[in-house]
Amino acid sequence: MSKSIYPQNQPLPQAQVQAQAQFQGQTQDSQNLQYFKPAAHIPDQVHTPEGEVKPEWQYLLNSIQNLGSDGLNARTDKARRILRDDGVTYNIYGKDKAPGSQWELDLVPSVISSEDWADIESGLLERAELFNLMLRDFYGSRTLLKQLAIPPEALFGHGGFLRACQGIQVPGEHDLILHSVDLVRRPDGTMCVLSDRTQAPSGAGYVLENRTVMSRVFPSLFRDSHVHRLASFFQRLRHKLISLAPSENKARVVVLTPGPHNETYFEHSYISNYLGFPLVQSGDLVVRKGFVWMKSLDGLDRVDVILRRIDDVSCDPVELYSGSQLGVPGLLDVVRAGRVVMANPLGTGVLENPILLKYLPQISKALLGRELRLKSVKTYWCGDKDDLKFISENIKNLIIKPIYRGTGAHSVWGGDLSDSELAELLQKIHQKPLQFVAQERIDKTHIPSLTKDNTLEPRPAILRTFSVATDNSYMVMPGGLTRVGLSAGSPLISMQIGCPSKDTWVTASEPERIPDESQQDALQAEKEAMLVSLPSRVVENLFWMGRYAERAEASLRLLRTVFEMLNDEQAISAQSQKVLLNAISEITATLPGFVNAPEELLANPEPELLDIIKNGARMGSIKSTLNSLFYCADESKELLSSDTIRIINDLQDEVDNLEMSLSQGLSSAPEEALDPLVIPLIALSGIMQESMVRGVGWHFLEMGRRVERSAQIMKTVSVLMTDVSEKYDHRTLLNALLKSMEVSLVYRRQGRARAGLELGIELVMLDSTNPRSLMFQFERLQHHFDNVRNDNQGKRELDEEDRVLLEAVTSLKLSRVKSLVEEIEGTRPNLSKIIGQLSVLLNDFNNVITDKYFDHRIDPKQLVGTFVEEAH
Amino acid sequence: MRYRIRHETKYTYAARVSHCYNLASLTPLNSLRQKCLQSSISVSPSAIHSRKQTDYFGNESFHFEIQTPHKELSIIAESEVEMDDTQLDFTVDKTITYGDALNYLATNTSEPVLLAKEFCLDSPMIKVTDALKEYARHSFDLNRSLYSCVEDLTQRIFKEFKYTPGFTSIATPLSDVLAHKKGVCQDFAHLQVGCLRAMGIPAKYVSGYMETLPPPGQEKLVGADATHAWVAYFSPDDNWIEFDPTNSVQAGKQHIITAQGRDYYDVTPLKGVIFGGGEDPILAVSVDVARLD
Repeated sequence: MSKSIYPQNQPLPQAQVQAQAQFQGQTQDSQNLQYFKPAAHIPDQVHTPEGEVKPEWQYLLNSIQNLGSDGLNARTDKARRILRDDGVTYNIYGKDKAPGSQWELDLVPSVISSEDWADIESGLLERAELFNLMLRDFYGSRTLLKQLAIPPEALFGHGGFLRACQGIQVPGEHDLILHSVDLVRRPDGTMCVLSDRTQAPSGAGYVLENRTVMSRVFPSLFRDSHVHRLASFFQRLRHKLISLAPSENKARVVVLTPGPHNETYFEHSYISNYLGFPLVQSGDLVVRKGFVWMKSLDGLDRVDVILRRIDDVSCDPVELYSGSQLGVPGLLDVVRAGRVVMANPLGTGVLENPILLKYLPQISKALLGRELRLKSVKTYWCGDKDDLKFISENIKNLIIKPIYRGTGAHSVWGGDLSDSELAELLQKIHQKPLQFVAQERIDKTHIPSLTKDNTLEPRPAILRTFSVATDNSYMVMPGGLTRVGLSAGSPLISMQIGCPSKDTWVTASEPERIPDESQQDALQAEKEAMLVSLPSRVVENLFWMGRYAERAEASLRLLRTVFEMLNDEQAISAQSQKVLLNAISEITATLPGFVNAPEELLANPEPELLDIIKNGARMGSIKSTLNSLFYCADESKELLSSDTIRIINDLQDEVDNLEMSLSQGLSSAPEEALDPLVIPLIALSGIMQESMVRGVGWHFLEMGRRVERSAQIMKTVSVLMTDVSEKYDHRTLLNALLKSMEVSLVYRRQGRARAGLELGIELVMLDSTNPRSLMFQFERLQHHFDNVRNDNQGKRELDEEDRVLLEAVTSLKLSRVKSLVEEIEGTRPNLSKIIGQLSVLLNDFNNVITDKYFDHRIDPKQLVGTFVEEAH
Repeated sequence: MRYRIRHETKYTYAARVSHCYNLASLTPLNSLRQKCLQSSISVSPSAIHSRKQTDYFGNESFHFEIQTPHKELSIIAESEVEMDDTQLDFTVDKTITYGDALNYLATNTSEPVLLAKEFCLDSPMIKVTDALKEYARHSFDLNRSLYSCVEDLTQRIFKEFKYTPGFTSIATPLSDVLAHKKGVCQDFAHLQVGCLRAMGIPAKYVSGYMETLPPPGQEKLVGADATHAWVAYFSPDDNWIEFDPTNSVQAGKQHIITAQGRDYYDVTPLKGVIFGGGEDPILAVSVDVARLD
């Protein structure tokens, strides 16, 4: 440092200071981030028995150590930001945003060497083949039963055996399209299957997101570790889904989700987007004439393949669970007729029966002629006499599990129960022995996990793997979703209790070949073609998203204007104050509010104003409008760019902070309190203009915006200007109008030549060059509508929408400013009249659009009274 | 003996139904003692799409979708069947004891026995309880013939339970039926199936029609017949013997089968989903079973 180019008495540049600090801290950091061999009682996956770090972990652990705490902190922050900006959630907000809903990613990946993985992979491939054969057997000839490989009760007594699904045909070699497995590593290093997921396995989308984050946060570490890529798994999935289509025409594949309230909705929209298939809810699908269709703007589009994220029993209220609101009535019969194919097929829940794990060796011998390489957790069935005896005697050292998830009962660890609870459980088991299994608890090996205070601690890990059927085999995603427990030795690992996830790196000794780029491009082109048609629900939500965004913005602008005027050093009259406050109640539609309010309220408006801003339970309040906006955004998430989602997240954060930022009251600095909301709203409208494809969705979003803005302009003009005020008040109100309509500047510049209400009204209503004028809104509506109208060729008559818009534009064009501002007995009758007339037209337009393009769902009812239908 | 059956179901709704998806199990099936000679189902308003299929239990189900808005839905099922129970008497072994039957079920691994096990388990509407077991117990003795045990159970249900239309509905649990000793044929059939399963005997629920004869000297009224339900139990080595607890008889020539399953849930004559329709639809059912020779 003696030869520093900086003179001693001058402060060092910031970067230099940081670099120095990092250098000085290095030794201490390195110690923190070193991963030591855990205590003897903790099974360890990282070290050899001699205490050496295994080769596959060396590079990773060294790199993390070299990075140091600060380096790692910066990476952690970056990862958090990416996850937040991508909107990655596990359990999405309810009415009140639940804390901890953000996806937890532990930045230290789980590493598996290529050689090790090859074994696991071949075990998984074999297992998927077996489960496929089992599925066919259960819904076909049931030879497993007849050959005594399993007792009949094991199949017949399981709630997932859906008799209505007998005889479903799936094109191709495999009926089971997706197979997932939860795997753990025993202390002796062998892998063991805890359970199979065969309904609608979740997690693949989270794996993809984890990978995206990791490759951005640790670009060089990731590159140098030669991690096997995930993309080809998803390409195979996509290819497989398309190949399932029963019709000759271009396949339409959709992803069926229960909706935004589902805990893994993020993943549904992420996967549908990644694969390029529309995301639909059950209400978007309908059975007509023996086929399944998606309700879209141009009518009904036939659906060939459904990737379902709904459990099979909920898929059809006609033949399956009759109380289901998530199903499509009549779906199963279309499936049986082979006119739509579901992945996984309906009925696959039967494979999640844990009794099968007990009999798997026999089953495998019967179907494959050999035992499986990959072992399953030791399972005892209470329906077996010997097992039941063993369970009764060893219940404290076993996990007791109901065989069917639908029954509402949960797994329990016998060791956690008191004597009376044990007696109760045993009684339950003896009453319905067929319905319970018991399993050993496996000591899981531990891997390093990054704790909150930046140390590496051993944590037990569980891996979910994903396999997809290909033309003649299965393909296993390299790696999968790793989750770790909250503490060393913790037996329970579940996303529900906030356990973090990890990326899983299957590391190769040499780099993998990167797939051909041109193939990617082709995929992209196809993807865009698929997006042309949207479920009408999505379009409706975009329309309303436009309306809510505009409503929030207009309300905020007016509020801001009014605050400024109320707090101005030049006091305004009580009369002006009253009109302005009335305008707020009218614009936000939080009536009666200030309208016909007593003097005290008008003199002391702050509590009511605060309520209008932050009371989420009040319709029309800023908070409630923004919540509606968030809801619409969620429902159309797959069409929003990542930057758009980011802005919506910012807005969401501001709404969450509203209480705090308003705690000082409004009078001090209203702009400061409201600006954090106004700015992201402006950014939102900007980004929609800049980053959304000019498709049908965008036009509807813009129509929503224009409809809302027209309504707001008319309301504002009407409240502020249709009554003639005192000269002094008139100036105040005109000023408020110009400010809230953002035309003050133009007004002042033109105002040198002309001034007064005439110019104001001209700017706000008639000037088609002003993007905030009423004329501009109606002309844009004409433009957008032209782009979305249904085929209109050969029609002589104008559509109702056209007629309404034409009439509005024409009456605006024909009106004269002089006549509009004309005063008769204290009012401006011509202004009222045209606003009244235009309001009716706007309303008509809105109604026609709603009737014609949006879906009007009625809920299905059962023909016969309710069945007692809980699973046995 | 041949019968012609006409079964009309009519729903009248308070409000318009825009769409409906239904599933009917109304076609007589073929069995050892019954042959379906012809059958048809007509729906009004007419269905835009319909499909027949044989279901898991071997019953014929008819799926249909109506797109025409309507306030009244009518389904008419017509069929002709030939009944002949002479074959049954040759094949049924009425002498095997209850104890031997249980032993056979426990040890024999023939296909019919393995598949019959399905009908020993709880089903959507029938759960075996201690109360059912307690009630059934009195008819069963390990040394008595299984046939006569079941016959005794049938007679007891007939004697001790009061046929009371309107007291129960589809949703009434079996425990209520047992407690009040009242119900209709569905309830008695469910009850007997539950009792048989409680005693370890596989049992099916059978739905169909029964010819009713007018009192002597009176004309038979059109539409007076009804849908009916009874039971079938498994008897080694491979027989399903039918008993009718509502009439205390072994089901015979007058019992025409449309469907069989674990319970009513599997064989509901007509079920489905409607859109619209308002509150409290009115249901009218009329059945005619006419002898042809």
